[in-house]
Order: sequence, then C-alpha cells, then structure tokens
Amino acid sequence: MTDLLELIFEVVAVAALAYFIALNSIYLALTAIAWRAIGLHRREQGYAATEDAFASPLTPPVSVLLPAYNEEAGIVESVRSLLALRYPEHEVIVVNDGSSDGTIAVLAEAFDLAPVRKVLRETISTAPVRATYASRRHDNLFVVDKTNGGKADALNAGVNAARYPYVCAVDADAVLEEDALLRVAKPILDDPELVAATGGIVRIANGCQVEHGQVLEVALPSSRLATLQVVEYFRAFLVGRVGWSRLRSLLIISGAFGLFRRSLVDAVGGWSTTTVGEDVELVVRLHRHLRDRGEDYRVEFVADPVCWTEVPEDLRQLSRQRRRWQRGLVETLWRHRRVVGNPRYGTLGLVGAPYFVVFEALGPAIEVFGYPAVMASAALGNVSATFLVAFFVVSILLGVLLSVTALALEELTFRRHGRHRDAARLLAFALLENFGYRQLTSFWRLYAFVDLARRRHAWGVMDRRGLASTSAGRSSRR
Amino acid sequence: VTTALAWCAIVCGVASAGCTVVLALRRLALARQERRRAEAEARLRPLAVMLVEGEVPDASTLEAGDAEILAGVLARYSRWLTGDARSHVARFFEREGGVDAEMRALGDRRAWRRATAAYTLGDMASTRAAPALVAALDDHARAVRAAAARSLGRLGAADAAEPLVLALVEGRVPRAVAGQALLAIGPNALPRLAELVDHDDATVRASVIELIGLLGDAAAAAFLLERLRDASAEVRAKAARALGRLAADEAAAGLRAALRDRIPFVRVSAAHALGMVGDRDSVGDLLRVARADAVPDVAQAASGAVGRIAPDLLLRAATVPDAGPHVHEAADLLELRA
Repeated sequence: MTDLLELIFEVVAVAALAYFIALNSIYLALTAIAWRAIGLHRREQGYAATEDAFASPLTPPVSVLLPAYNEEAGIVESVRSLLALRYPEHEVIVVNDGSSDGTIAVLAEAFDLAPVRKVLRETISTAPVRATYASRRHDNLFVVDKTNGGKADALNAGVNAARYPYVCAVDADAVLEEDALLRVAKPILDDPELVAATGGIVRIANGCQVEHGQVLEVALPSSRLATLQVVEYFRAFLVGRVGWSRLRSLLIISGAFGLFRRSLVDAVGGWSTTTVGEDVELVVRLHRHLRDRGEDYRVEFVADPVCWTEVPEDLRQLSRQRRRWQRGLVETLWRHRRVVGNPRYGTLGLVGAPYFVVFEALGPAIEVFGYPAVMASAALGNVSATFLVAFFVVSILLGVLLSVTALALEELTFRRHGRHRDAARLLAFALLENFGYRQLTSFWRLYAFVDLARRRHAWGVMDRRGLASTSAGRSSRR
Repeated sequence: VTTALAWCAIVCGVASAGCTVVLALRRLALARQERRRAEAEARLRPLAVMLVEGEVPDASTLEAGDAEILAGVLARYSRWLTGDARSHVARFFEREGGVDAEMRALGDRRAWRRATAAYTLGDMASTRAAPALVAALDDHARAVRAAAARSLGRLGAADAAEPLVLALVEGRVPRAVAGQALLAIGPNALPRLAELVDHDDATVRASVIELIGLLGDAAAAAFLLERLRDASAEVRAKAARALGRLAADEAAAGLRAALRDRIPFVRVSAAHALGMVGDRDSVGDLLRVARADAVPDVAQAASGAVGRIAPDLLLRAATVPDAGPHVHEAADLLELRA
C-alpha cells in the first residue's frame, strides 16, 4: 500500500515537474514572440495611415452591439463612449436583455428614445423582442428591448438588427477609447478579404477617472485584488493574445471587445446560447467553419485599441467570474474536441487547441495537486529537500520573470500608467501575485469542474459600482 | 537536476532584477526626454510659423536635436496646410536636404525605415518625391506600399493615379488608404480612371467605378450607365451606387430596371441610388420593392429611398395596413427625426 502511494506521489510529482517545464517554456516562447510582434506594431504606428482610413469613404461601416442586463449604473457612460468613437460610419445597437432594473429608463432619458418599428432580420433565432427604439438626438443609436435570453442571445438579436457588414461586440460596462474601433478595424481595412475577426486589449478601469464615457486619467485601483488583476491582464493580453495571434491560433477574442464579419457570424448561427463561454466558442466555431471550407483567413489580436472595463474587487465575485470563464473554456474545448490534435486545423489543431486543453483546461488540476504531491514525495524521501526548495524558488522566480517581462512590454511600448508611483506598485504586485494569488486562481479554475459536474450554467451576478456610480450587472470579460 | 534548477533560479532572479532596473532607468530617461522635447517645441514654434509664412530665417545655427524637432513640427503642420504655406514647407525640406535624405532612405534594407521615409515624404510636401513614391508602390513590404500610397495622396500627385488604382485593385495597398489617396488627388485622377472603366478584370472595373462615383461629376454618368448592364454583379452594384452619388437624373430609368436585378446587393445599390437621385417617378417602384422584396436589406433600402425622395408619400404609404414592416420602419424614423 505504501509502495503504491509512493508510486502515485512520484508519478504526480514527475508530471508536475514536466508540466512546469513545458508550461514555462511555452510562456517564455510566447513572451519572445509578443516582444517582437508588439515592437513591430509600435514601430508601424509611426507610419500607419490611420487618419487616412478615418477620412476614407471606402472604410467599411460597423454596427457596434452592446448587450445590457441590469446595467443601469454604467450604461449611459458606455453608450456615450460608443457614440463618441472616431469612425467614418457606425451605428450603436443597445440590446436590453430583459433587465429588471432601470436600464431602459435611463437610456430613454439620456438619449431621448422613442419607439420605432425597426425590422429585425430573422437570420438567428432569439428570445422574443418586445420593442425597438431610436434616439431623437443620435441618428445612429438604436435600442432593442427583448425578453431575457442571456448575453449570447442579446448579441444575436443585435446581429439581426445590424445594418452594416461588420459587427463589434462590446460589454455594457466597457468604455472604448476614441480611436479604439478604428484601430481594432485596422487589420480588416488592410485586408478585408482575409481578416475574419479581430480583438482588442482590455484594460482595467477600476481607479481610473472616467467622465462622459472617456477615461480622463489612468490610475491604478486602490483595491489590491484589482491591482493584481492589472498585472494578470497585461500577461494575458500583451503576451498570451499577441503570441497566439502571431501563431494563427487565437482562440479567445474577449467578449468585452471584438469585431467580426457579420456574414460569417450569420453563417455559423451567431453566438451560442448554450455555453457561458460564448466568446471563445464563437471564435473556435469561426475557425472550424473557415478551415473546414479550406478558406484562407486570419483572426487577429491588435494590442493597442483600448477597452476599459471594471473588474471584481472581492474574492467571492472574482471566484465566480474565474469559474465561469473556466467552465466556458472547458465546454468549448469539449464541444470542439475534433479540432484538438487534428492536422486539418493547422497550428490551431496541432498547437493552440492542445495547449488550451493541457495547460488551460487541465492545468489547474496539475497545479493544485502537483505542489502537495511534490511535497509528499519529499516527505517520503523520494525527493531531496534541496530539490524541493530549488523547485519552489524556480517556480516563483519564473513567475516573477514572466510578470516583469509583461510589465516591461507595457512599459516599453504603450506606457499607459504614467505615474512613477503606479509603475512601482505594479512591479511590487508582479512579485506578490506569485504568493497566493496565482494558486488561488488555479484552485477556482479547478473548482469550475465541480460546477460543471453539478451542471451549473448560470452566469451569476456581478455587483458593479459602474464606471460612474453603483449597480449590479453581468460581466463577460476574459 | 537540483543544480540545473539552482542555475535556473539564478538566471530568473538576475533577469527579473535587470529588467526592473532597466525599466526604472528608461522611465526616468523618457520623462526627461519628453520634458526637453516639449520645451524645444515651444521654443521652436515661432520659427516654424515664420517658415510656413514664407520667411527664410537662418536655421543653420540650430543644434542637430533642435533641427530634428523643427522638422517634426513642420511635417505635422504640413498635414493641415494647403497652397503657398505648404509650398514653403516643401522648399524648407528641399533646401535643408530632408527630401533627399528620405528619398535615399526609400532604398534602405530595413522595411520599417523605408516605410517611415515613404510616410515622411508625404509630410515634407515636395512633389519631387512623387516618382520615388510611385516606385515604392512596388516595394515588397506592404507597410511601405501603404505609406507611399498615403503620401502620393498628400502630394496630390496626378501622375500617380493609374499606379494607385492598379495597386488598389491588385490588393497591394489597403483599399481605404489607396481610395483616400485618389480622393486627395481629386478630379485630376479622373481621365485615367475613365480609361479603366472597360478593363477586362471585373474587380478593376468595380473599383474604378466606385472611385469615379466619389470623385466625378454629372459628366461621368454617361459612361457609367452602360455598366448597369455589366456581366459582373459587383460592377453593376458599384455603377448604381456611383450614379446615385453623382445624382445623375438620366440614370433613373436604368436604376429602376436594376431594382429587378436577380442579385440582391445590386437591388440594394439601385434603391439607394434612386433615393440619392431623388427621382419622384421611381416612388411607385420603390414602394413595391419595399413591400414585396423578400430580402430585408433590399426592402429596407427601398423604403429609405422613398423617405429621401418624398417623405410625404412615405408617411401616406405607411398608413396603409399592408404597407409592410420596412415602410413602417422608415416612416417611424422619418417622423422621429423630422
């Protein structure tokens, strides 16, 4: 019995070590790719003809979709930021997904809405639409009021109402920078035949000064938990998304800010209403749709169009959010398991999807059980104490190095946190996040499997203060 | 293994610490650099204004750093200048050797340097750079080609119209950028565009027709009319749109016929165009399409067109119970924004 236990501990310890080496090697490789890509991208900004694209009548118009569920606190600011976008031609379609608060009322008052009999295509079936409104003040603002069907259903209703060939999905609590749409559309403007979808970077608005739908001053949140997420988002977006995009295996375009060719969204049947990871699921489905037809295409991540959003500031809500993201990812990978390891899907099938299965979906289990297993192995004498100490020191220092390089990437390129004090604080949190925070998020992600086993599919409620005041709403960032 | 891990820990620790130190030093250096640049720009602005106004102050005594900042300020100004003021900027850069330096940089082996040079030449406003920029439209790097196209537009280089159109239709430069450059060149580009209307390649014909619609005048309508019967649906749609933009009255009959085209996006374009032409005789046809066309985009475009041509008729049509959802929608929007 003892021998069997020893063997199990040894196997888990070796698996943990192998996992640790492989994961960090991939992270380092992604970091190197991201450094090169972002450096190139920043240099290109010096000669990118963005202003000319803004002035050009040949720039394709875009329908911006804003699904809203109980977003009374922040919806007006968000809509203002969308109306203020610098883009040659765009419309804003707010979809009120059966809110039980005053979302419709605040919109009606702020934008002088009146009922209109707007025709909605029936390309994608959705929950019933109760009414449609247009604004007397803004020719390009429409509101679709429907019964509750979830975020994906609301987005699909938005697609049905959209007039333009591209749709941009934005979270209701998000604030886009003035040029964000133009920048996220840049790959499409450069190559409309090739680029199917693009996503932009999501940054954390907690602590920033937001007025009239614009971030006036960038600052770090006072909450430690939110500051840890700032560092985490740098790593996820500036390293992960940029790296995977370069490898043509971008699986995730954040639900908070993504631009899609409408005809493709129609062709694949819109966002899936049967998963909480509708953003990742749609991207994977688009990949499959296009690869199955042998079409040449790109799904790209652009590192500088900024979307600001609010993140949870307490553990309960953060846990709920992370478990939901993990459920969404696992559901998507299971639904599209045919892609994993399938050469037909190119680097996506052979590199991207297997990575997400091994390191993102199953990784938390190895992380959570791996550390105790290594310690147990040491206790049983299979591993020396020196090895144990060295292993933990390396794992912490590698984590620190990866966080610091992500910070460096931000600092050497976009440098949005101008205050020296904020930069020093970010650096401190890049160290701190390795002592507890990362382990905690791994635990939550593992716990998501329990949610899956219990067949919990609810989004849950995120209490939000709103970028202007206080509210409760549904968060979808990842 | 333990030794390897120890080395790994040392490397990670040193790399993290090094990275942190470099970041801190760079942040301080950048803050100082930005402060100095802001001070220099404020100091050099009067000199830049003198140059724009045609005076020739002695800039030879400027330090290298200041000269670079002055050039940057002038290049930025030139984006918003026209006429003599822009010529003065061009003369400054020609005199100081900036144009020659950037033209030489178009041959640099680094793509980013060539692209920067192509972009900067547009801001330097010297038409001497046009032939070199036309050649840069064939550069193997897409960014260089895009920057060259943008600069040719800035220079208003009429001779560049044909290579720009070809670069656009062959997908060598982004459509939005090449299109904007051709619009910046303006009506001078029209004669060459007109010659390409009968091009063998339907994609070329469609792009050219779209540009004529944006650049041309009513005189261009004559040779666009027959393109409403082109074999390519894309060309027919673009021709309809262009005729609408040109508000060509004589196109109304052809556009009404195009409302019956078998391809929906051609019908959408025809409906839009009739709205822009403002032909009241088409209202009956448009209302029929708005009520009966099975493709929502077509019906929507037709009702919108009726609203544009004859708001009173649209509102009256909407009172009929079987007017159809698109007529109701257009009427609601019309009333809302009246």
